[in-house]
Amino acid sequence: MQLARVIGTVVATVKSPSLDGVRLLIVQPLTRQLEPVGTVVVAADAVHMAGPGELVYIVGSREAAEALEDRFAPVDHAIVGIVDAVEPIRGGGR
Amino acid sequence: MKLARVVGTVVSTICSPIFEDRTLLLCDLVEPSGEAAGGYLIAVDTVGAGAGELVLILDEGTSARQIVGAAYGPLRAVIVGIVDAVEGPGAAAGQAKAKPTTKGEAAARGTKGEAAARGTKAAKATARRTTRTVKQG
Repeated sequence: MQLARVIGTVVATVKSPSLDGVRLLIVQPLTRQLEPVGTVVVAADAVHMAGPGELVYIVGSREAAEALEDRFAPVDHAIVGIVDAVEPIRGGGR
Repeated sequence: MKLARVVGTVVSTICSPIFEDRTLLLCDLVEPSGEAAGGYLIAVDTVGAGAGELVLILDEGTSARQIVGAAYGPLRAVIVGIVDAVEGPGAAAGQAKAKPTTKGEAAARGTKGEAAARGTKAAKATARRTTRTVKQG
Protein backbone atom coordinates (compact mmCIF):
# COMPACT_ATOMS: atom_id res chain seq x y z
CA MET A 1 0.00 0.00 0.00
CA GLN A 2 1.12 3.54 -0.71
CA LEU A 3 0.20 6.99 0.46
CA ALA A 4 -1.65 9.17 -2.03
CA ARG A 5 -3.42 12.51 -2.27
CA VAL A 6 -6.88 12.80 -3.82
CA ILE A 7 -6.69 15.51 -6.48
CA GLY A 8 -9.92 15.07 -8.44
CA THR A 9 -12.87 12.97 -9.45
CA VAL A 10 -13.87 11.07 -12.56
CA VAL A 11 -17.44 10.81 -13.77
CA ALA A 12 -18.34 7.98 -16.16
CA THR A 13 -21.87 7.07 -17.22
CA VAL A 14 -21.10 4.17 -19.47
CA LYS A 15 -19.02 1.66 -17.56
CA SER A 16 -18.82 -1.93 -16.43
CA PRO A 17 -21.91 -2.85 -14.34
CA SER A 18 -19.56 -3.82 -11.50
CA LEU A 19 -18.55 -0.17 -11.22
CA ASP A 20 -22.09 1.14 -10.68
CA GLY A 21 -22.17 3.14 -7.47
CA VAL A 22 -18.39 3.16 -7.18
CA ARG A 23 -16.79 6.59 -6.86
CA LEU A 24 -13.74 7.05 -9.02
CA LEU A 25 -11.14 9.50 -7.76
CA ILE A 26 -7.94 10.80 -9.29
CA VAL A 27 -5.05 10.26 -6.89
CA GLN A 28 -1.40 11.26 -6.91
CA PRO A 29 0.83 8.64 -5.26
CA LEU A 30 3.24 10.12 -2.70
CA THR A 31 6.59 9.28 -1.17
CA ARG A 32 6.60 8.78 2.57
CA GLN A 33 7.76 12.39 2.86
CA LEU A 34 4.45 13.21 1.14
CA GLU A 35 6.07 14.40 -2.09
CA PRO A 36 4.41 13.45 -5.40
CA VAL A 37 5.95 10.41 -7.09
CA GLY A 38 5.00 8.51 -10.22
CA THR A 39 1.98 8.99 -12.41
CA VAL A 40 -1.49 10.01 -11.36
CA VAL A 41 -3.95 7.11 -11.27
CA VAL A 42 -7.71 6.66 -11.08
CA ALA A 43 -8.67 4.73 -7.95
CA ALA A 44 -12.00 3.36 -6.77
CA ASP A 45 -13.06 4.82 -3.43
CA ALA A 46 -13.68 1.78 -1.23
CA VAL A 47 -14.24 3.80 1.95
CA HIS A 48 -16.93 6.03 0.37
CA MET A 49 -15.65 9.02 2.31
CA ALA A 50 -12.52 10.25 0.59
CA GLY A 51 -12.67 13.72 -0.92
CA PRO A 52 -10.40 16.05 -2.86
CA GLY A 53 -7.29 17.11 -0.96
CA GLU A 54 -7.46 14.19 1.42
CA LEU A 55 -4.45 12.04 2.33
CA VAL A 56 -5.32 8.39 1.77
CA TYR A 57 -3.66 5.06 1.28
CA ILE A 58 -4.22 3.02 -1.82
CA VAL A 59 -3.76 -0.61 -2.70
CA GLY A 60 -2.85 -1.71 -6.20
CA SER A 61 -3.25 -4.74 -8.44
CA ARG A 62 -5.71 -7.57 -7.74
CA GLU A 63 -6.29 -6.52 -4.14
CA ALA A 64 -7.94 -3.29 -5.28
CA ALA A 65 -11.04 -5.20 -6.41
CA GLU A 66 -11.13 -7.01 -3.06
CA ALA A 67 -11.95 -3.68 -1.46
CA LEU A 68 -15.20 -3.30 -3.40
CA GLU A 69 -18.56 -4.99 -3.03
CA ASP A 70 -18.03 -6.88 -6.27
CA ARG A 71 -14.73 -8.65 -5.68
CA PHE A 72 -14.25 -9.04 -9.41
CA ALA A 73 -14.83 -5.42 -10.38
CA PRO A 74 -12.38 -4.25 -13.06
CA VAL A 75 -10.24 -1.88 -10.99
CA ASP A 76 -6.50 -1.85 -10.37
CA HIS A 77 -6.24 0.79 -7.66
CA ALA A 78 -8.51 1.38 -4.69
CA ILE A 79 -8.54 3.79 -1.77
CA VAL A 80 -8.73 1.56 1.30
CA GLY A 81 -8.28 4.07 4.10
CA ILE A 82 -8.09 7.73 5.04
CA VAL A 83 -4.90 8.75 6.82
CA ASP A 84 -5.30 10.58 10.13
CA ALA A 85 -1.57 10.83 10.77
CA VAL A 86 1.76 9.50 9.56
CA GLU A 87 4.00 9.25 12.58
CA PRO A 88 7.72 8.72 12.21
CA ILE A 89 9.15 6.52 14.93
CA ARG A 90 12.62 7.21 16.18
CA GLY A 91 14.89 5.51 18.64
CA GLY A 92 15.09 1.83 19.42
CA GLY A 93 16.65 1.21 16.02
CA ARG A 94 19.84 -0.71 15.54
CA MET B 1 9.53 -11.39 0.27
CA LYS B 2 11.17 -8.04 0.77
CA LEU B 3 13.60 -6.64 3.30
CA ALA B 4 12.48 -3.39 4.90
CA ARG B 5 13.13 -1.09 7.82
CA VAL B 6 10.25 0.09 10.01
CA VAL B 7 10.25 3.91 9.95
CA GLY B 8 6.79 4.97 11.02
CA THR B 9 3.18 4.22 11.67
CA VAL B 10 0.04 5.16 9.76
CA VAL B 11 -2.98 6.09 11.86
CA SER B 12 -6.30 5.57 10.11
CA THR B 13 -9.81 5.60 11.59
CA ILE B 14 -11.76 5.28 8.38
CA CYS B 15 -10.49 2.21 6.58
CA SER B 16 -11.52 -1.06 4.99
CA PRO B 17 -12.78 -3.51 7.65
CA ILE B 18 -9.77 -5.79 7.18
CA PHE B 19 -7.49 -3.06 8.60
CA GLU B 20 -9.56 -2.39 11.70
CA ASP B 21 -7.64 -3.06 14.93
CA ARG B 22 -4.48 -3.76 12.97
CA THR B 23 -1.19 -1.90 13.09
CA LEU B 24 -0.12 -0.28 9.84
CA LEU B 25 3.62 0.29 9.68
CA LEU B 26 5.47 2.46 7.22
CA CYS B 27 8.50 0.53 5.98
CA ASP B 28 11.39 1.68 3.78
CA LEU B 29 12.55 -1.04 1.42
CA VAL B 30 16.25 -1.81 1.92
CA GLU B 31 19.03 -3.73 0.19
CA PRO B 32 20.69 -6.63 2.04
CA SER B 33 23.47 -4.11 2.77
CA GLY B 34 21.01 -2.03 4.78
CA GLU B 35 20.98 0.84 2.28
CA ALA B 36 17.66 2.23 1.08
CA ALA B 37 16.49 0.39 -2.03
CA GLY B 38 14.12 3.22 -2.97
CA GLY B 39 10.44 2.99 -2.31
CA TYR B 40 8.41 2.10 0.71
CA LEU B 41 5.36 0.06 1.68
CA ILE B 42 2.57 0.37 4.19
CA ALA B 43 2.30 -3.11 5.69
CA VAL B 44 0.13 -4.76 8.32
CA ASP B 45 2.13 -5.97 11.29
CA THR B 46 1.59 -9.59 12.34
CA VAL B 47 4.69 -10.17 14.49
CA GLY B 48 4.94 -7.14 16.76
CA ALA B 49 7.71 -5.32 14.88
CA GLY B 50 9.01 -2.11 16.41
CA ALA B 51 10.84 1.09 15.59
CA GLY B 52 13.87 0.80 13.35
CA GLU B 53 13.67 -2.95 13.08
CA LEU B 54 14.67 -4.82 9.95
CA VAL B 55 11.68 -6.87 8.85
CA LEU B 56 10.51 -9.29 6.19
CA ILE B 57 7.52 -8.14 4.17
CA LEU B 58 5.31 -10.50 2.23
CA ASP B 59 3.80 -8.52 -0.67
CA GLU B 60 1.25 -10.93 -2.11
CA GLY B 61 -2.47 -10.75 -1.44
CA THR B 62 -3.65 -14.34 -1.16
CA SER B 63 -0.87 -15.34 1.21
CA ALA B 64 -1.30 -12.14 3.21
CA ARG B 65 -5.00 -12.80 3.75
CA GLN B 66 -4.26 -16.37 4.74
CA ILE B 67 -1.83 -15.14 7.39
CA VAL B 68 -4.35 -12.82 9.02
CA GLY B 69 -7.12 -15.41 8.64
CA ALA B 70 -9.32 -13.39 6.29
CA ALA B 71 -11.04 -14.99 3.31
CA TYR B 72 -11.15 -11.75 1.39
CA GLY B 73 -10.24 -8.08 1.73
CA PRO B 74 -7.85 -5.60 0.12
CA LEU B 75 -4.83 -6.73 2.10
CA ARG B 76 -1.57 -7.28 0.27
CA ALA B 77 1.52 -6.42 2.33
CA VAL B 78 2.15 -7.98 5.75
CA ILE B 79 5.19 -8.04 8.00
CA VAL B 80 5.90 -11.72 8.57
CA GLY B 81 9.24 -11.70 10.36
CA ILE B 82 11.85 -9.70 12.23
CA VAL B 83 15.30 -10.14 10.77
CA ASP B 84 18.05 -11.06 13.21
CA ALA B 85 20.91 -11.07 10.74
CA VAL B 86 21.60 -10.97 7.03
CA GLU B 87 24.59 -12.99 5.90
CA GLY B 88 26.24 -13.23 2.50
CA PRO B 89 28.15 -11.12 -0.02
CA GLY B 90 25.74 -8.17 0.00
CA ALA B 91 25.20 -8.09 3.75
CA ALA B 92 26.26 -5.09 5.80
CA ALA B 93 29.02 -5.18 8.35
CA GLY B 94 26.77 -2.93 10.43
CA GLN B 95 24.38 -5.76 11.01
CA ALA B 96 27.06 -7.94 12.54
CA LYS B 97 26.19 -6.49 15.91
CA ALA B 98 22.65 -7.76 15.47
CA LYS B 99 24.01 -11.27 14.94
CA PRO B 100 23.88 -13.66 17.90
CA THR B 101 27.34 -13.73 19.39
CA THR B 102 26.98 -16.25 22.14
CA LYS B 103 25.24 -19.58 22.41
CA GLY B 104 22.84 -18.07 24.94
CA GLU B 105 21.78 -15.30 22.60
CA ALA B 106 21.46 -17.67 19.70
CA ALA B 107 19.20 -19.90 21.78
CA ALA B 108 17.17 -16.89 22.87
CA ARG B 109 16.70 -15.88 19.25
CA GLY B 110 15.67 -19.41 18.37
CA THR B 111 12.99 -19.28 21.06
CA LYS B 112 11.81 -15.94 19.72
CA GLY B 113 11.45 -17.32 16.19
CA GLU B 114 9.39 -20.27 17.36
CA ALA B 115 7.31 -18.04 19.62
CA ALA B 116 6.48 -15.68 16.78
CA ALA B 117 5.55 -18.62 14.58
CA ARG B 118 3.01 -19.82 17.12
CA GLY B 119 1.37 -16.40 16.87
CA THR B 120 -0.34 -16.40 20.27
CA LYS B 121 -0.42 -13.27 22.39
CA ALA B 122 1.70 -14.82 25.08
CA ALA B 123 4.19 -15.96 22.51
CA LYS B 124 4.37 -12.47 21.07
CA ALA B 125 5.04 -11.06 24.53
CA THR B 126 7.83 -13.58 24.95
CA ALA B 127 9.23 -12.59 21.59
CA ARG B 128 9.25 -8.90 22.53
CA ARG B 129 10.96 -9.61 25.82
CA THR B 130 13.56 -11.72 24.09
CA THR B 131 14.24 -8.99 21.56
CA ARG B 132 14.76 -6.47 24.32
CA THR B 133 17.13 -8.80 26.15
CA VAL B 134 19.19 -9.31 23.04
CA LYS B 135 19.30 -5.59 22.32
CA GLN B 136 20.55 -4.80 25.80
CA GLY B 137 23.14 -7.54 25.49
